Amino acid sequence: MTIDILFIWTAFKEIIKALPITLILTILPLLAGFIIGLAVALIRIYKVKFLCRVANGYVSFFRGTPIIMHIMLIYFGFPLLIDQISTKFDLGIQSNSIPIILFVLTALSLSAGAYLSEIFRSGIISVSNGQMEAAYSVGMNSFQAMTRIVLPQAIAQSIPNFTNIFIGFLHTSSIAFIVSQKEMTGAANIVASTNLKFLESFIAAGLIYWGLTIIAEGLSFLIEKKATAYNRGGVQ
Amino acid sequence: MGKAFDPSLIVDFIPTLIYYLGVTLQILAASVLLGMVIGIAAAILRLFRIPVLNQLVILYISFIRGTPILIQLFLVFYGLPAILLFINIDISRMDALYFVIITYALSNGAHFAEIFRGAIKAVDYGQTEAAYSVGMNNSQSFFRIVLPQAIRIAFPNIANSIIGSLKDTSLAFTIGVMDMMGRGETLIAATAHALEVYLSLAVIYYAVVLVFEKIFRLYENRINRHQTVDVSVTG
Repeated sequence: MTIDILFIWTAFKEIIKALPITLILTILPLLAGFIIGLAVALIRIYKVKFLCRVANGYVSFFRGTPIIMHIMLIYFGFPLLIDQISTKFDLGIQSNSIPIILFVLTALSLSAGAYLSEIFRSGIISVSNGQMEAAYSVGMNSFQAMTRIVLPQAIAQSIPNFTNIFIGFLHTSSIAFIVSQKEMTGAANIVASTNLKFLESFIAAGLIYWGLTIIAEGLSFLIEKKATAYNRGGVQ
Repeated sequence: MGKAFDPSLIVDFIPTLIYYLGVTLQILAASVLLGMVIGIAAAILRLFRIPVLNQLVILYISFIRGTPILIQLFLVFYGLPAILLFINIDISRMDALYFVIITYALSNGAHFAEIFRGAIKAVDYGQTEAAYSVGMNNSQSFFRIVLPQAIRIAFPNIANSIIGSLKDTSLAFTIGVMDMMGRGETLIAATAHALEVYLSLAVIYYAVVLVFEKIFRLYENRINRHQTVDVSVTG
């Protein structure tokens, strides 16, 4: 077994065609997770009755089990559920007509929500309480103070954490290949097994992921510099 | 085949699956211990800026943090035998378990290296100076004064990393290791009750993570017992 360096380039060109699916599997769950995470974080911070317990359980369970479990549970569980509801109410929806990618997206969104909620929570808590009081003193109500004063600062401070989550989910999207999604790892696997050149294909896939990660880190650095510009000067 | 979904099977599957928890924990323990060794070595190379090796460690850490664990798993599984064949060692028939341990050790090593580096840098340099002033030499001041404090600072991150690594072991089955997840796959093949198997697996993983979190919290309180309250809040 020798390494065919030229094949890495062939595999690279083949695998990069699957980049859009990987990006869809990364970005859409993070956008959905952003909304879920914000809602869950606010519920936990304001200790909303009953909902707070549900939110705690949700975050604890999703952070306590591997993401592949979420994908598998939803991949096998939702079709059963949908078929049962469909036959009960005569909706005429069949689970096997739903594309698998929707199940994967749902699972990843729920996981992203749990992970992001912790980041929002720590970000919001880290904004000093005086900011909230100052907002009240100029006549803002709670909602205005939250959306105009606290959240922008909380989000700006959490940018490094968001980047980590983005990179984490970029890498997590590779798990989707186990439920036969043709994203980058899936594509690498197909290229590998049709040409029987496993090592070369996975080197190519690794290089693409590595490049994407470096780009994401660079972008995050630029965005962070811009977003926390208000926080410069003085002793910092 | 019975019903499509049978909740009682979830409980029935747990004893069968928990029998393989040992394999999962074995992968975890071996890879964390090896990862510690790699991590400390890499952190020292970075901190003392040993030429060439420093750059290699930067590349290694960047690569591990830049690629999914699944890709690393495949690279080690297919790559290591190919590399070792150059020096005439044939390991292509080695148990997949060892490839998994090597991959996770390399992955943990990179994460630990960054954690240790941050923690050692966070220890005030005055501590080293104080150690010199009472007559300790370089290695004494590092191992007796700086390292114990760095471990205290690093511990919460190490704990998070270990829990993350435990969850990552669920991917080992992709190269054919018979751990909990691998046994789950064979159970599915035998019974066709996929949902129940995954639910039992989720219950087991969740329980193990909760136990780990509890142990780590107790240990963290223990190593922080000499800290006054306001220091432990900021540190």
